[in-house]
Order: sequence, then structure tokens, then C-alpha cells
Amino acid sequence: MDLHRSHLAPDGLRAEGMRVLVIDPDPARAALVAEGLEGVQPLEVRRATTFDEREAAAFAPDVVVIAADSPDRDTLESLREAGQHNPRAVVMFVDRSEPGLAEQAVRAGVAAYVVDGLTPSRVRSILDVAISRFALTQQLRGDLAKAKADLESRKTVERAKGLLMKERGLDEDGAYRLLRKLAMDRGKPIGTVAADLLAFAGVLKGDAS
Amino acid sequence: MSGRADLTLGFIPLTDCAPLVVAKTRGFFAEEGLEVVLSREASWATIRDKVGVGALDGAHMLAPMALAADSMLAPLALNQNGSAVTVGTKLAAMMREADPEALAGPLVTADALMEVIARRRAQGAPPLTFAVVFPHSMHNYFLRYWLGQAGIDPDRDVRLVVTPPPRMVEHLRSGEIDGFCVGAPWNTVAVDEGLGEVLIKASQFWPGGPDKVFGVTAAWADRHGDELRAALRALIRASAWADEPGNHAELVALLSRPDHVGVEAEVLVRALKSEIVFHRHAAGLPRREHALWFLSQMARWGQVGADVDLAAVADRVYRPDLFREAALSLGPVLDPAQVFADAAPAASALFDGPSFDPANPRGYAASFPVGRAR
Repeated sequence: MDLHRSHLAPDGLRAEGMRVLVIDPDPARAALVAEGLEGVQPLEVRRATTFDEREAAAFAPDVVVIAADSPDRDTLESLREAGQHNPRAVVMFVDRSEPGLAEQAVRAGVAAYVVDGLTPSRVRSILDVAISRFALTQQLRGDLAKAKADLESRKTVERAKGLLMKERGLDEDGAYRLLRKLAMDRGKPIGTVAADLLAFAGVLKGDAS
Repeated sequence: MSGRADLTLGFIPLTDCAPLVVAKTRGFFAEEGLEVVLSREASWATIRDKVGVGALDGAHMLAPMALAADSMLAPLALNQNGSAVTVGTKLAAMMREADPEALAGPLVTADALMEVIARRRAQGAPPLTFAVVFPHSMHNYFLRYWLGQAGIDPDRDVRLVVTPPPRMVEHLRSGEIDGFCVGAPWNTVAVDEGLGEVLIKASQFWPGGPDKVFGVTAAWADRHGDELRAALRALIRASAWADEPGNHAELVALLSRPDHVGVEAEVLVRALKSEIVFHRHAAGLPRREHALWFLSQMARWGQVGADVDLAAVADRVYRPDLFREAALSLGPVLDPAQVFADAAPAASALFDGPSFDPANPRGYAASFPVGRAR
């Protein structure tokens, strides 16, 4: 994620430039995007009529620009769903005739949207916002997963401590010191050692039939 | 009801959009006093989003997509069966080479495919690629289940991608994918073009198994109870009409129109004759046990967290009560027996594997050797 975090630099853009993939049968839109990003060097805008996962992975775009009515939305959404190794910011173009659609798409994982009339002057700021927001979401997601894992690990350690206190007649401090020693001896995190201990105790008691 | 366009309903070009197309073109909506505009959409995500914000009043939806979305209701099941697993002719030949009898039996398992995968791995060949239409779809769970029963881990042993239904055949031709699970008529199209072979149909995988629903938001249903009931009545009548073999020629002509499914009439006929059921066997009833089976598969493949109350989701989204109310109000038009054919829960007789207990979807999800539910 370091690659993406670098987008949070003050100017919002990577020093080394920007890669943009525009999924649109309409060449005019790709031209508009390129025009709006003039001055961002080096800039690579690639246009494809349909989204191809392999090509996209090879190109590694910073941002994918797609129309709301594109059949490729399902594919892009599935990549996000699967928490793929290669996540990217998605900007969607929405027809003004469908109010609220854009907000809904954002809830479903699109990083930013443009309602109607794309003008070159707006392109850069829109893509900047999308990339920054995407990086932030990715980071929050990672932090949340880590927080959950930490909490889980703490609970496991507590339970293992309780087991040691009961079975070995140790006090809380002694139980924790023993766990920490086991962890250091084995070169494993304390949560893993605690989980192993609990699983092993379960087997002895006949839990894992 | 007002005289202007009352409802805009979305659909994806697939044979099972038939109830919507029939209700519109045969005048069933009009007879209910509804002026309906049908809107052909390009992706399931767009359908979900547009219904979510009210750009569409309701739509043809993947049943699991309705279950996974915020505040969607499924008051009507649109069809049973229709999807199938198809592989390219090259992969079919490799499966036959691995086991000459592999594709000969009445029911094709993925055992020969497992053998092909093992051989390819030994040779250092890249993993086979299979496509489904959406992460939350019968097609995804059908393919994953079928692979899993042969010991193939769909997340590790093959590459699974999402491809829009009308593009499946083109991707099979270009070699981008080796096989797919998609709804009618796209399996037939692949076979007719000499590009693929159907290995297993939904009706073999799970006789009478669920597929698409008619979906609306809970908020819309609250505000438009009368319109919803009228729409359901029209759709139920359209489903009964579409089931009649005598109407199939006309149905095929309707569906093959470019503004509907837009394929040759011949490829639509086969699935209608032997596979898809719209109305018989109470096919329209959104069954709670179907919702719970879908949710069990979401749990199995890690799409839903351990903290989600699956039964509560099923009861919130699936609304057999709304279906019954609409169906019974049709009185003599419809045989009421059709509506209550579910007095005994449908035996979820999947082609093999443990039997499904709707009371314990998470236990069922964890009972498979292949899966993420542990």
C-alpha cells in the first residue's frame, strides 16, 4: 500500500506522474482526460473499449475512469469485492438524469464521480480527489483489519492466561511471563502461542473430535 | 392510479427477463392500470444502484445481489434454473483425455477437471480461468460448489473473474477464459457456435433451484404498496403465460428482439423447453430456504462476516407474504394451489454433498472441505 500512500503527498500526485485507464468506447472522453492532465509529466492515458483484467494489471493504472452505464462495472466491482492484490481508484461518469446514482456508486466502492459535462479544467482535481480518497479508504480498511486482529489476539492471550492460571496455579503475572517466554523461545507472536496452547488444551479435553 | 408512466423497471438481456418483457408487451401491466417503461441495463451493479436511488422503481435482479444490497426486497422469484457450466472445447478435450468417461455420464462432476488442473500444475502451466456474472450470483455459488465437490478450491486452484453475460462467448472464443457459468441463452450460444460444451445445468445441479428475483427497495414498497401489488399481479400472470408451451413461439420472437435479449430465436428455444421454469411448481414464491442457502454460500466463501444474523437478512429481504397476497388476489385467474405448493419446505436436493438445514446455514457452510467458513 506504500505505493498508494505516496498519493497523499501535498500536491496529491506522485512525483513520477500518473497512469490513467479510461474504459469507454468514446475516444472523445479519453482525449478530454488527457487534455485536463496536461502538465502532469509523465502522463499516460490509455483508452480501452472494455476492461481487460490482464491488460489492466500490466498497465497498473493509478485510476480507472468508467461510465456509469458500462457493462464493465460488474468486473471492476468484483475486483474490489475480492480484495485483490491490485486495487485501484475508480472514477465514474454519471448522466445527470439519474440523481443520487453517483452517491450510491460511491457507497458501492467507486472513489469519485463526475456528473455530466466533463471539462478539461476539472479533470485533474477530480482524479486527485479520487486517488487520495481511495488511498485513505485502503488505509482505513487495513487499519480496521489490523485492529480486529489485535483485539482477537488480546482475547486469545487472556484466555490462555486464564488456562495457565487454572492448570498451573500461576498468578496473572506469572501466566503472562510464561506465555511471553514460550513466544520468545519459539520465535512466534504471543497471540499465536496462546492460540496453539488453547487448541492443544482443547485436544487434550477431547474438544476437537 | 395516475395515467402517466407509473413505473420504470430495469432488466439485463437474459432469457429470464421474460416475465417483465411479457407483462409489458402482452399488456398485463396495462390491465393492472400500470404504464411501465422497461429499461435495458448494462450491468448488475448499475441495476442495483439505480433501484437503490430510485432511478428505477424495480428490476430483474440476481437473488443473492438483492440479499447483499442495503434494504432491498424480493417479493417475487422470477425463475428456476437456466444457468449452466460450460467449458471451451479445448478444456473439454483435456478433461476427456484425463478420463475418457468424464463427460459421458448423466451427471458430470469436476473430478476430471481436478485431474487436468493437477497435470497443468505439474507442467507449470498458468491456472485455468473461469468467469461468472457477479460475485453475488447463483452462477458464482453454483460454479464454486461444483468445483469444491471435486476438491478444487475456486480461490486457489483456478482464477475466477467476472464478465458481463453478453461477453462470455466472445471471451471463450478469444481464449481469455476457459469456461464460465452464465444464464440462458449464452450457454446455448457457445455450443451452437462450436466453441464450448455444457457440463452441468442448473436443473441437474439443484432441481428447482432459485436464480433471479424481482427486486424493489423496502422504502419504495412502503410508499407504493398498490403499485407493487399491481406489478406483482402482472408479473405473475406473465410468468404463467411464459410457461405455456403454446406461447413459446411468441415468447421467443419477443425475446429475440434487439431491444430485449437480441439473439437468434433458435438459441432461446432450448432452455425454454427443457430448463427454465417461471411459474409452475410455485416457482414465483421467494422461498426462505433459498435465501438461507444463498446466505450460507456467502458465509462459506467469506462474503459475509460472522456477526451477521443470516436468518434476519433472509426474513427482511425475501417476502413470500407479498407474493402470496398478490397471487391470491388474482383469484380464479390463477390456481391458488400454485401459491401454497411450498407447504412443505422444498427439499434442497443439491446434486451431492451434505443436505441443507435452513435452521443452521453457518454449520452447513462450515461442513464443506473446501471453503473459507471455519
